[in-house]
Amino acid sequence: MFRFRTFLAPTTTVHAHCDLPCGVYDPEQARIEAESVYKIIEKMGANSDPTFTARAIDIKEQRAELAKHHLDVLWHDYFKPEHLEKVPNLHELFWNAAKQVSKVKASTDLADAKKLLDMIDEIDAAWKATGGEEKTRVQRATA
Amino acid sequence: MAPTIQPGDWLLIDPTTARWPRRGSIVVFREPDSDLLAIKRLAAGPGDRVDLDEGHLVLGADEAWLLSDATDAALLAAGAGAGRPIDSRRYGPVPVDALVGRVWFRYGPLNRIGRIGRPPAILDR
Repeated sequence: MFRFRTFLAPTTTVHAHCDLPCGVYDPEQARIEAESVYKIIEKMGANSDPTFTARAIDIKEQRAELAKHHLDVLWHDYFKPEHLEKVPNLHELFWNAAKQVSKVKASTDLADAKKLLDMIDEIDAAWKATGGEEKTRVQRATA
Repeated sequence: MAPTIQPGDWLLIDPTTARWPRRGSIVVFREPDSDLLAIKRLAAGPGDRVDLDEGHLVLGADEAWLLSDATDAALLAAGAGAGRPIDSRRYGPVPVDALVGRVWFRYGPLNRIGRIGRPPAILDR
């Protein structure tokens, strides 16, 4: 009987998986990466060494990609349709921020990086308006 | 995909399908983001219009919109932490190149043997 069952059993597994969200979300993750981008551009302006510039561009693009990833996770996993009542322009905020990340990737203009930081701060305000730290972070031990 | 497909179900698929089958069919395909073998229901096929929260999109000649059957109740039953289903609402339209086959029969477990049904609600979403 066991052999018969083994003979019939499928050999391939398919998945119908769902997210397994940890429930921890904070725009600060994206902001830290965006701050790195800002600082790297600042340092590039003060150093004309071509090797340094090449490395800086590479790292800047990596950091920008991470910022985009954290924004995507926040958008897709934290925010829900009901949050649109409190933040009606939510989709526009994320859409514009994602576009700005793409711009920053290709730019060495400090103003572009600053604009991205400002956009993330707007998203931070939306996060706070819909629950923020109290809802999505693990509380620190108080002294 | 609960309640239609349950974890551990033994399924037969038709791998000769070269085009997206009709709406309501359950298909196995390579998930765009991960290349994982995934199973979803075909909610809209080539040329169909898909309504989104803001606006709509029209699927290309080789694209399908694949959705999970999982209801809120099924997700709740799966336990705390089972999040939203990962389907076309996450990765968008799926090209026919990713299609592996159409699921047509369940041959195990014994008490669930039979053709795969098509719930009426899926096409209303």
